[in-house]
Amino acid sequence: MPSALGEPPHARPQPPKRLGRDMRQKAQRKNKQRKTALVAGSGAALKLSPFFSLLFLLACWHWITARALISPILVPPPSAVFTALADALADGSLAKHSATTLEEMLYGLAIGLGIALALGYAIAKVPLLEYILSPIIVAFQSTPIVAYAPLLVIWFGQGPQSKVVTTAVIVFFPALMNMIVGIRGVSPRLRDMMRSLKASRWQTFRHLELPAALPVLLAGLKTSTTLAIIGAVVGEFVASGSGLGFLVTLARNQYDTPLVFVSVLTMTAIALSLYSLVTLLEWRLLAWQRRSAL
Amino acid sequence: MFTFIRIFALLLACGAPFAAAQTELQAERILLTFIPNVQFSPFYVGIDGGYFADAGFDVTLEHLQEPEVLDLVAVQQANFGIVSGEQVILARAQSRDVMYIFEWFQRYPVGLVYDAAAPIEEVADLSGLTIGIPGRFGASYSGFITLLQSGGLSEADVQLNEIGFNAPEAFCLGAVDAAVVYINNEPLQIRNLAAQNECGSVTDVAVASVASAVDLVSNGLIVNRALLDENPDAAALMVSALTQALRAVINNPAAAYLASLPYVENLPQTGAFITELKQIAAHQAEFLTTSPSRDAVAASRAALHQSLAEQFPPGESAQFQVLLNSVELWDAERLGFSELASWQAMGETLALMGFLDDAEQDLSAAFSNDFLPEREK
Amino acid sequence: MILSLRDLVVSFRAPAGDLLPVLGPISFDVADSQFVCVLGPSGCGKSTLIRVLAGLQAASAGSARYQAQLIQAPSADIAIMFQDPNLMPWRTVLQNIALPLELRGMPRQQRHRIARALLPQLRLNGFEHAYPAELSGGMAQRVALGRVIVQQPKVWLLDEPFGALDALTRERLSLELLRLRAGGEQTVIMVTHDINEAVLLGDRLIVLSRGPGTIVDDINNTLPRPRHVEMMYQPEFIRLTRRVRAAIDKPSG
Repeated sequence: MPSALGEPPHARPQPPKRLGRDMRQKAQRKNKQRKTALVAGSGAALKLSPFFSLLFLLACWHWITARALISPILVPPPSAVFTALADALADGSLAKHSATTLEEMLYGLAIGLGIALALGYAIAKVPLLEYILSPIIVAFQSTPIVAYAPLLVIWFGQGPQSKVVTTAVIVFFPALMNMIVGIRGVSPRLRDMMRSLKASRWQTFRHLELPAALPVLLAGLKTSTTLAIIGAVVGEFVASGSGLGFLVTLARNQYDTPLVFVSVLTMTAIALSLYSLVTLLEWRLLAWQRRSAL
Repeated sequence: MFTFIRIFALLLACGAPFAAAQTELQAERILLTFIPNVQFSPFYVGIDGGYFADAGFDVTLEHLQEPEVLDLVAVQQANFGIVSGEQVILARAQSRDVMYIFEWFQRYPVGLVYDAAAPIEEVADLSGLTIGIPGRFGASYSGFITLLQSGGLSEADVQLNEIGFNAPEAFCLGAVDAAVVYINNEPLQIRNLAAQNECGSVTDVAVASVASAVDLVSNGLIVNRALLDENPDAAALMVSALTQALRAVINNPAAAYLASLPYVENLPQTGAFITELKQIAAHQAEFLTTSPSRDAVAASRAALHQSLAEQFPPGESAQFQVLLNSVELWDAERLGFSELASWQAMGETLALMGFLDDAEQDLSAAFSNDFLPEREK
Repeated sequence: MILSLRDLVVSFRAPAGDLLPVLGPISFDVADSQFVCVLGPSGCGKSTLIRVLAGLQAASAGSARYQAQLIQAPSADIAIMFQDPNLMPWRTVLQNIALPLELRGMPRQQRHRIARALLPQLRLNGFEHAYPAELSGGMAQRVALGRVIVQQPKVWLLDEPFGALDALTRERLSLELLRLRAGGEQTVIMVTHDINEAVLLGDRLIVLSRGPGTIVDDINNTLPRPRHVEMMYQPEFIRLTRRVRAAIDKPSG
């Protein structure tokens, strides 16, 4: 129902400070950069370049340790790390600890994103909520999680729950901001169009708001996946009996530096895999953007 | 002309002692674990009392995690560090060439704290209970496993929960039936909480210490191989300085506490308690001039413990009580001396826990009593 | 009378708090199947008039009725087309045209069949899987028109539908619009600022004054149907365009 006393459409006074406006501009800039990168990376040699840089890094690492420039106590040679990796794979310990961490991450992501998206939608729709909640949210976000992770462990127990909570907390904010930015960025003209088609609230969300916000949401999801492993490992560092964070602590306390490397590299691999998975999702869901850019 | 030379000579004479004192002092880092705390008062007294300077060292203290302390000493980024003996065994098994030359804690500081009203008479009674532990690593883990072992139990007989360094909270919230703790610190905290009726139904706690069951090697000073090869005298000088500083703390804890105040954050610097401690410290110094026996000094500490507990609320004197408790873990006839048996007991525990593949490690090479002053050998 | 406006007034609340009238009072009736062109200088409230009829904007005073019912919300019988194509960039041409049917819950196959059947007359053959960003301005606007037609509305509300296009494209699209309304059953209210376009298309030309817009002139266009571009050179056409221009240029008072 239109209000009896109309305001000029799309000319409502804006609240003085909007959460996430900078982020939106950043996201747009990022998108631009991504496009140029795609164009630049079209050669086969260029596509292989990440592989070469990895190889170069490995060669440097080998050379440094072979020349004993750094004590093997601080940086073990690649061969020792590969042996440790093979051992950890063979006895199943790496799989077990990775599964724990991955599970904590996925539950944390699901809970953190779920709450963030719902709250973000509400804030985008009801500006009053932003005035009420933004001081709390900003304060919460500004507090380093490492500082209060021990409290979370006391409150939620030493099991996986506390790590799920640390993960959920750390992924919450970027997802929230991206949801607010995404929903607020929906064209008011398209909203009018949907209204004229008598779209229900759900239809407006499903057919307009969600697809319109999707590019920003997926960019946020990438950030969230890389943060998720930090959340899980921070929780595991405080107190845990399994997980990659625990494996690092254990390996450190057994002076098994190669195993420390294996654990850390596994964390990197998990984070990269999840990131790639989101990129793949982006590739599929945002096919229209790619076509439109050509 | 004469006057000129005389002035010049005078200047030289004035400058020389300063210049000499500055160049002679060798800058040394001592790497400690945890955070600045009254438990490290032997090092604060070592600096303030001039014990390190007399031995020719300009000491700075740093706090790191235990494995980092050990690795930095092993790679010669520092010559001295304080770690537990178990870490020395584990690290030597991974080709860290360090040696343990001074046992600071003569009694293993780990123990189990539990509700005094609970039906726990002996280790076997722990079977089936939920027990909190900082984590499945470090001195608390090996100490606890040894304790279980001494009562014929194994880890499988209890439910072990990793609670980080949150024993008072976890225990008082009822998340665990008992907790593995450092016996000089956490039992005191829990007792204080219980006294304020903030620890559930618990009114008093009991402590089962690992040391009462088995003699395990504990925290001490490590050095790297390079120092022992190139400058063994420095090791001996450092051990000597530390021995004197430690003895000074044992003999006069009140003075040691006052010396620690500038180093430890968040301790009251004034007030009735500090005034009282100053009097006690002065009184004790007078008493020490009579060259009392070790037992007499121990008796004076026990009396002090008692009178302070009566005079001051637990919150105010808590950290001093921690120091007094710690002194009981340090005091011994021969300071710094460690027994091969305590190393072997630790080695067996580590092998049992699967932390040590090389059960054949020659533990007698892990430590040495040779650097101790004659009197302590 | 399919549409009936009585003393319709729309005011906006200015940021300072005072009421700013933008349209009216305005009264007129529209007969079934009439093609009405609304002209006027910018800021006369033309677009606001369309939004009121579409149920997107409430009247501040007076009334707007569709088939004797007060217009208070969008209706399935009334479709609106904006100056921008307003297509969803993530939907293909076909999906954009079929959107209204999808919102009505029509199964996918059926709605795509209906939309696909429209493509030839919209001259969008072969573009059904194209995305809006791949289309020219004229093609995008034809997709938007398809999205109106697919609703089978009784009333078309066209808010300067070709305003953003170049003159030649605009002319061609105007004639296509007439062709697409072949049966001539739909009532059309079209806002435009192009006098030739209005005279070529409309049965009736309503000229609004400077804002707040009121009716300056209401002209019955007697040019015969079907209309074609050649008519633009006939004396009657020129007479009508003169009359419209005179009405627009008349100082308001």
